[in-house]
Amino acid sequence: MTRSTDRADSILVHAYLDGELDPANALAIERRMAAEPALLAEYKRLEALQRLLRDRFPHQGPPPELRARIGAAVGIKPTRVQPSWRALAASIAITAIVTSGATWVARGPEFGDPVRDAVVAGHIRSLMASQPVDVVSSDRHTVKPWFNGRIPEAPRVVDLAKENFPLVGGRIDVVGRKPVPTLVYRRHAHFISVTAVPVADLADAAPARHPADGYGIVRWTENGVAYWAISDVGADELDSFVRLFRVAPPLT
Amino acid sequence: MAIVSPVIDHPASSKHRDHLRVVSSQAPQRDDVSDMASGDNDNVRFRNMVLPHLGDAYTLARWITGNRADAEDVVQDACLRAFRAIRNYDGGSKRAWVLTIVRHAAYSWLRRNRPAALVAVENLEAVEEALAMPGDHDSATPEAALIAKADAARLEAAIAALPSPFRETLVLRDVQGLDYREIAAVTGVPIGTVMSRLARGRGRLIADIRRKE
Repeated sequence: MTRSTDRADSILVHAYLDGELDPANALAIERRMAAEPALLAEYKRLEALQRLLRDRFPHQGPPPELRARIGAAVGIKPTRVQPSWRALAASIAITAIVTSGATWVARGPEFGDPVRDAVVAGHIRSLMASQPVDVVSSDRHTVKPWFNGRIPEAPRVVDLAKENFPLVGGRIDVVGRKPVPTLVYRRHAHFISVTAVPVADLADAAPARHPADGYGIVRWTENGVAYWAISDVGADELDSFVRLFRVAPPLT
Repeated sequence: MAIVSPVIDHPASSKHRDHLRVVSSQAPQRDDVSDMASGDNDNVRFRNMVLPHLGDAYTLARWITGNRADAEDVVQDACLRAFRAIRNYDGGSKRAWVLTIVRHAAYSWLRRNRPAALVAVENLEAVEEALAMPGDHDSATPEAALIAKADAARLEAAIAALPSPFRETLVLRDVQGLDYREIAAVTGVPIGTVMSRLARGRGRLIADIRRKE
């Protein structure tokens, strides 16, 4: 063993780390890593580097003033603008966003109902099926790529195993004729489905309880996606799950 | 803010043309109702598609340009481009769509303002060759525990020192969390190239950490 890995092996280890291998290849490289210490060491180094990068450069929003600047730049009609109008235009742009958000919140309940029904239906149907997920894996590196091949945008997948909410897998639900991703976590013998439904509005909404049909349901929105967490665990447990889910670093 | 004006002015000709259509709805000339409606739709699309990814846009711009002020100018330029092109979006990851535009905006900004920063890219072939021989992996690479302790400032400098194709690939993957397919779309190269660039970028960072211990 003069060199730890040749290039082709090395690329496979990178792809495995990134959750980009199909199950057969993932299994193959896992077996090889178990047999070849050098390959395993390579994987551990890469994993450490990835974790380091994620920790040192956490996801950040834009600088606050940049958002206003963009609103001004895009909202301005160049043929009419004089420099002194820019601040005014910025405030109009921001007002427009805030107002549209308020409108949406005001008509939230009736807008949300069919979606909620679809989410509940998806959860119930999954419990009736032989298994609640289409892809079974406690490894988010497997779950996320599975979605990538099936829907335009894979959901945010977080690892809450340490908090005793292990990931069970994922499935596709249908809400309003659109396929949407659902992640399934487990709390003891109970399943928690988290369905991510794109919404037309940007305004973030804090988690709120929407219980229905004996299930606890918590909904919140973040970056244009409404998350519906549904389960028959206790309301407090569901709340704490939602809290953990929201703060956990997404898979990178 | 002297630096702002060239960025705003640069795409002026096409921008004015695009906006004339919207303005015409206020000074009725033709087809004003549909123009106004589509203008409103564009605003909604922009809010839904672009604004949620402003943080990612800024992050990528900062890693490509190397500083915050330039990154803000690039993001503003990119947003104007995205607004004009909003109807060209045809599905797929919105974030990848936005980042593709940011990346183009960043490199054209560099070409205009700091052409020297791009010289290295021309010699990518040579650079790839050089990086393809990382030397003895076995004995000298640090263990995982050592990597975990690497100094943040040095790490940042090491990333900044990567040739930009490796740097952008690494940032898109390990900082921003895009998958290979998205990275291939954003950087306009095949997935195989994404994989080899990522492997080399990471390999070089690990080698850098080793060198500094």
